[in-house]
Amino acid sequence: MLSVAGVDVFIQSSQILRGVSLEVGAREVVCLVGRNGSGKTTTLRTVMGYLSPRAGAVEFRGRPIHGRRTHEIARLGLGWAPEDCGIFSDLTVAENIEIATWTRPRGRAAAERVAQAYEVFPALRRYAARRGPEMSGGERKMLSIARALALDPEMLLLDEPFEGLSPAIIPAVSAGIAAITGLGRAILIAESNIHHVPDYTTRLYVIERGEIIFGGRPDDAWRDPGVSRIIGGRSR
Amino acid sequence: MAAGLQVVFGVQKIFNLACGSFYALGAYVGVSAVGWYVGAGGPPALFIVPLALAGLAVGAVGIVVERGLLRFVYDRDETFQLLMTFAIVLMMEDAIRLTWGTAPRSTAGLYLAYGQVQLLGATAPVYNLIVIAASLAIALAIGWLLARTAFGRIIRATADNREMAEALGVDMRRVYAEVFTLGTALGTLGGALVIPTTAAMSEMGIELIVEAFAVVVIGGLGSMRGAFGGALVVGVLRAIAISVYPELEMLLIYLIVIAVLAARPRGLFGGAAA
Repeated sequence: MLSVAGVDVFIQSSQILRGVSLEVGAREVVCLVGRNGSGKTTTLRTVMGYLSPRAGAVEFRGRPIHGRRTHEIARLGLGWAPEDCGIFSDLTVAENIEIATWTRPRGRAAAERVAQAYEVFPALRRYAARRGPEMSGGERKMLSIARALALDPEMLLLDEPFEGLSPAIIPAVSAGIAAITGLGRAILIAESNIHHVPDYTTRLYVIERGEIIFGGRPDDAWRDPGVSRIIGGRSR
Repeated sequence: MAAGLQVVFGVQKIFNLACGSFYALGAYVGVSAVGWYVGAGGPPALFIVPLALAGLAVGAVGIVVERGLLRFVYDRDETFQLLMTFAIVLMMEDAIRLTWGTAPRSTAGLYLAYGQVQLLGATAPVYNLIVIAASLAIALAIGWLLARTAFGRIIRATADNREMAEALGVDMRRVYAEVFTLGTALGTLGGALVIPTTAAMSEMGIELIVEAFAVVVIGGLGSMRGAFGGALVVGVLRAIAISVYPELEMLLIYLIVIAVLAARPRGLFGGAAA
């Protein structure tokens, strides 16, 4: 589905990513784990076309997408839920969700796509007429992910979906993400807290100072001494 | 005019001084169109049709200016944007002088073709009432466009968070071009509609910019309600000043602008995100 190969990314003159490579297969849930500032968000933003790699390649569904513009990448079927949620505060919850159905018409009816977004996060339905500023952090995260799903994407990129959420709301967000994988969509999650990595993660990458230092099954990550030194040992 | 400024600023965060030039351009083209229309023997009663059409058509200049010049300064400092739009103002002013000469142009008494009415004890040309009605209709139409249509919601989303809108498949360049053209067309249409009641002069662009910015500052940047409220305040105050003590006319507007800036820097109707 998504393949990032040997990507170098510079922001101004400093190198943020060094030869980053990762793979996300169809229907997979892949977690990119690393500390703050390790390059997780930069990796995701490079995939979305906000940043262009100086070296390396990004392929989505077999087509190279590095160097293409962000809206083209989105229309190819990549949904994006940024860390700050990116809620349009001037629009209602319903209008936020509907936007993607106007910009990326598909074979499926718009109403069906919107209904599916609400099914994944039923709590949102109650707030449909509300505007961004009237929402809690958890509701904003849900809206951000639901809106990305309404694009009807083949794959979603979620940047820190659990960040700053109260423990009470994390299960609802996690269940929503699980429901999206149940719909057959691939997901790439950036996560700084190893304890938030969902049980249904199929593959895990660890990034440190812009380099991938581990890639494999989540269980193997715990046994890797280099990984546990960086992201902390197992505590569950 | 102020409506065009508001829409463009709200979405693109660009201070577009050039809108005054578009207004002047619309006025001149309107005069020429009406002159040609009357010369071709068209019935005077319908002169508003070629006038409005000419005003709208010349709005297409907006596409050229946006694609050819403005898009290079989107990511630059606001100073660059101001300089760029000011350069456009100067170029357009000279272009207008070259084309139409320096003498004021007018449609003479054509605006009286619609007759006059007695209103609140004063005599007002019907044409002025038509212009007022048209302005109201345009304001309502823009409000409807922004609030109720998918295009309007995409515009508002882009104004709010450009990067996020792109990630949802919005072609930002296209939206910018469309919005700028819409803003330009509003300006040129405004110029064309107003011109029968006054005369077209090459300096009118700059004059109008000052007034439009006063309207926008009083109303609050980026808010349509603000543009409307600000226009009302400025219009009413000017009328009062002219009838009471004409020398105070422009001074009064600046005093209000200063007072509003001091008391409510975001303008009377400005929202939190203005």
